[in-house]
Amino acid sequence: MNAAARPSRRKWARALRIALVACVALLVVAGLYLAWRLTRDEPVDYADDAAHFKYGSTGGDRLTGIPYWLWVALPEVFPEYLPDKRPGHGYASFGMVYEAGKDPRYDLPAGMSRRNVRGIDSVYLNCAVCHTGTVRTAPGAPARVVLGMPANTFDIGAWGQFLTNVARDTKFTPQRLLDQIRVMENDSHRLVDKPDLINRLIFRYIAVYRMREQTLSLPQRLSFIEFAKWGPGRDDTFGPNKAFFNFNMTHADPEELTGFADFPSIWNQGPRQDAHMALHWDGNNDHVTERNLNAAFGTGAYPPSIDADSLQRTARWLETARPVPFSDLFPVDAALASRGAPIYQHYCAGCHGTKAPPFVHQQRQPGEHVGEVVPIAAIGTDRRRLDSFTWELAVNLGTNYAGFEPDWGFDKPYPRRFTRYHKTYGYANTPLDGLWLRAPYLHNGSVPNLRELLEPAAARTKIVYRGNDVYDPQNVGFVFNVPEQGGRRFFKLDTGQPGNGNWGHEGEAFGTYLPAEQKQALLEYLKTF
Amino acid sequence: MDARKKRKILIAVAVLAVLGVIVGITVWYKIFRDVPQPEWITKNQSDNFLYGSIGGEADAGIPYWIWLVLPRMFPEYLPGPGGYASLGISWEQGREMPAGFSKKTIGFVRVGENCAICHSTSYRTKEDEVPKVVAAGPGHTADIQGLILFFTRCAGDPRFTADDLLAQIDLVTKLSFVDRLIYRFAVPQVKKALLDQGKGFAWTARLPQWGPGRDAPMNLTKFNLLQMPADDTVDNTDFPAIWHLAAREQAGRTWSDKTPNPIPAHTMLMNLDGATTSFRSVLIDSALGLGAKNTPFFNRRIPQLLDWLREFRPPAYPLPVDAQKAARGKAVFETECAACHASQRDNRMGTVIPIAEVDTDRARLDAWTKAAADGANAKVASLGITRTPMVKTEGYIAVQLDGTWLRGPYLHNGSVPTVRDLLEPPARRPQTFYRGYDVIDAQNLGFISNLAQVKGRKFFLYDTRQRGNGNGGHLFGTQLAAPAKDDLIEYLKTL
Repeated sequence: MNAAARPSRRKWARALRIALVACVALLVVAGLYLAWRLTRDEPVDYADDAAHFKYGSTGGDRLTGIPYWLWVALPEVFPEYLPDKRPGHGYASFGMVYEAGKDPRYDLPAGMSRRNVRGIDSVYLNCAVCHTGTVRTAPGAPARVVLGMPANTFDIGAWGQFLTNVARDTKFTPQRLLDQIRVMENDSHRLVDKPDLINRLIFRYIAVYRMREQTLSLPQRLSFIEFAKWGPGRDDTFGPNKAFFNFNMTHADPEELTGFADFPSIWNQGPRQDAHMALHWDGNNDHVTERNLNAAFGTGAYPPSIDADSLQRTARWLETARPVPFSDLFPVDAALASRGAPIYQHYCAGCHGTKAPPFVHQQRQPGEHVGEVVPIAAIGTDRRRLDSFTWELAVNLGTNYAGFEPDWGFDKPYPRRFTRYHKTYGYANTPLDGLWLRAPYLHNGSVPNLRELLEPAAARTKIVYRGNDVYDPQNVGFVFNVPEQGGRRFFKLDTGQPGNGNWGHEGEAFGTYLPAEQKQALLEYLKTF
Repeated sequence: MDARKKRKILIAVAVLAVLGVIVGITVWYKIFRDVPQPEWITKNQSDNFLYGSIGGEADAGIPYWIWLVLPRMFPEYLPGPGGYASLGISWEQGREMPAGFSKKTIGFVRVGENCAICHSTSYRTKEDEVPKVVAAGPGHTADIQGLILFFTRCAGDPRFTADDLLAQIDLVTKLSFVDRLIYRFAVPQVKKALLDQGKGFAWTARLPQWGPGRDAPMNLTKFNLLQMPADDTVDNTDFPAIWHLAAREQAGRTWSDKTPNPIPAHTMLMNLDGATTSFRSVLIDSALGLGAKNTPFFNRRIPQLLDWLREFRPPAYPLPVDAQKAARGKAVFETECAACHASQRDNRMGTVIPIAEVDTDRARLDAWTKAAADGANAKVASLGITRTPMVKTEGYIAVQLDGTWLRGPYLHNGSVPTVRDLLEPPARRPQTFYRGYDVIDAQNLGFISNLAQVKGRKFFLYDTRQRGNGNGGHLFGTQLAAPAKDDLIEYLKTL
């Protein structure tokens, strides 16, 4: 060993040391960066409460979320599963509501939230998806988007089936989807950055498989649900609850399976809570908070994934949210309406309360029954919806949010375990705020407009086409007799089918015997709600 | 050894000791710490009966979240939709669990069972009505054999693994790291415990089914508590009502440690054949069967239960009663029934009626032996518990009739669906009928028993020709004229 070699060796050793330190530093930095990327949990926030209602998160996008880039790619890759089989307009053919100026290929419809979680941007449903509707004054006229209104055009059953069909398809592979994403990722309308290496790796190795696994684990549990019979604006409200509990439905009463119900309007929740009104069509809960938490299950917000603050913000906004007045879009004959007021007072007010919030006197007066359950024999409407909410389900709902209680050491006031679900044997009287936007009528949406609701069942239309948002101000309801318009086929509701019965809410007490002139006046008055 | 070395060792020992204490405290806190149930349970004796602990959770308890998700993971082992409700176990709306399950934290939250699992009942006056739950009543809809079988099948399923269970639990709660770890350790132990329990009940598979509202009380004692060899006897018996037991204790007629068998043949005994000599003894033996242990808690809880059950009364009959008919029926009752069934008198109520006299199915009686009684006494004594003994008798007890309307089906084995049928001679009593429906049969007094199913809920076909199910005997009142029977039934509604 000679002396000249020594400095060289020392140099080498130093270089090695530096390289080593650099490598370790690099690894640490990369590790920290990855940890930050993969543990981020950031919803897109909105300053405006109405925007929060439309696009804010319930927390469902945490666990159940669909990666944004898959969401935009799916209608392009799988147009054959779209109702109109045409790519290029996102999910519009399911009747999802895209606000004016939005690009359905890239923008989210009202009722979808976005969150960066587990390293990618994911999207999923929120309350607005079933509770935002549209109204047009004529075919081709611009759609007025109304928040809190029943989603009259959205076919959530068909939408769910789409996802299942997609996940089952052999084309549902990381490669095929990444190819599609590459085609779309440079478009300026995109809501998120184009996928980087980490995103791509997640798509390739995790996200696609995870979505397939999640989607395909459901059909077996959901197999008893008749998605295709809902049509736009309806669902089997408590079927998903039974699926969540994984009830042994092979032994269930078949009559329990056809409890189709319209999405309700959800404005003016404050007065409903204050008066402890019976909520849901059958009045099975009188607690707005529990009702909201249970509805949030439908948006994928489970006890471990719920975004409690965000959901509460929506709930607070809904306390005072108001419907759009009929007179914003159509004229009202004030003189005629004023003649209808006493008729309303005589026939309707006892069950449906006063026109404006709080709908009921602070001390309930005799004969004041708004927000109470009317026995099925008295109202006489189709009882399938009421039968679909079974006592077995009511007691099991007492297990939702178990563990969120003070005697478990849970110290927050919200959320809490459910204690208010109960079986009823009738349907609830609801206030009629924004009535004109709540068509079609009765809990199953079997009566197309108010004029027909004031006729005996025998005179009501047997086949009602649902999903059209063109309004018929004369009859107070949406146009129901057109099977197809502007390339969109509407849903044929056959009132002869189980769960679709259009009978009941008829007879002297319900105003169906009134002379035509009085009906006309009442109808005009009801437009002012 | 120099001082520095010594100090190093000392420090090491100290550090280890501190670590040991921390680990010890953590283990105690997360596995053994006994937290009293909340006051809404312990301060209200009715809720305490329905949801309160009797001390079985430590040994026989299932970790809460496993208990919660089992029906969701294995619905195929349940008879229909509704989770535990599908087994007919009483459940009050708004509660997180059915009556008879008790939730208690012992380190982690566990679910045990209490008396109410068999001794709380549900009734409705019509189909379109929410069932009302009555504590201490005979759980005539509860399929306890089905419940045990459900647990056994779950545990035997290949999906009963920590991974699969935790995947379900993750849908309903967020377990902490430590709790996850505990669950990972607990799952195999729970699996083994449930499978062992299933093996312990294997003998039931070879015998006639219990069906809702019944179990095999004496054979459970013989084969499960005493580990006696299976002997092919059948003792399927209705769960009795256990309310207002003060009626079964009279001065000078109650067996106690100080006055054993005070007046033979005139002594008020417990169990349907009088095999247990005091109310306290039945309670202790039943609690032991649910996994309770001789602990200070147990010794506080038993007297508390005794006091409450002595005084708690059944609710009044919820439907209208024809007062005139009932008044006439009272006279019939006095001549036909009072000698054996009237309460608060010096009569035969609560005493053993010899089998030759009552002549009902004797399988239940014959299933119990002197050897079994001696074995049970020795076993309980070995646990350090003093109680009045079990004995062997040769008849069935004449029971008190308060809340008769909730006690159907009738006779010890529940072989006669309604009081009206009981007032008919055996040949005219129904040979088969359905058990498990909770709607009152106001016409005949009992529960509606002629429907195989209602709205998807299937009921249990009871066949009186099966061993132990005989509906003969108790001919008292069968000779009455039809109007007298009507009157008597109306009067019995008022008890």
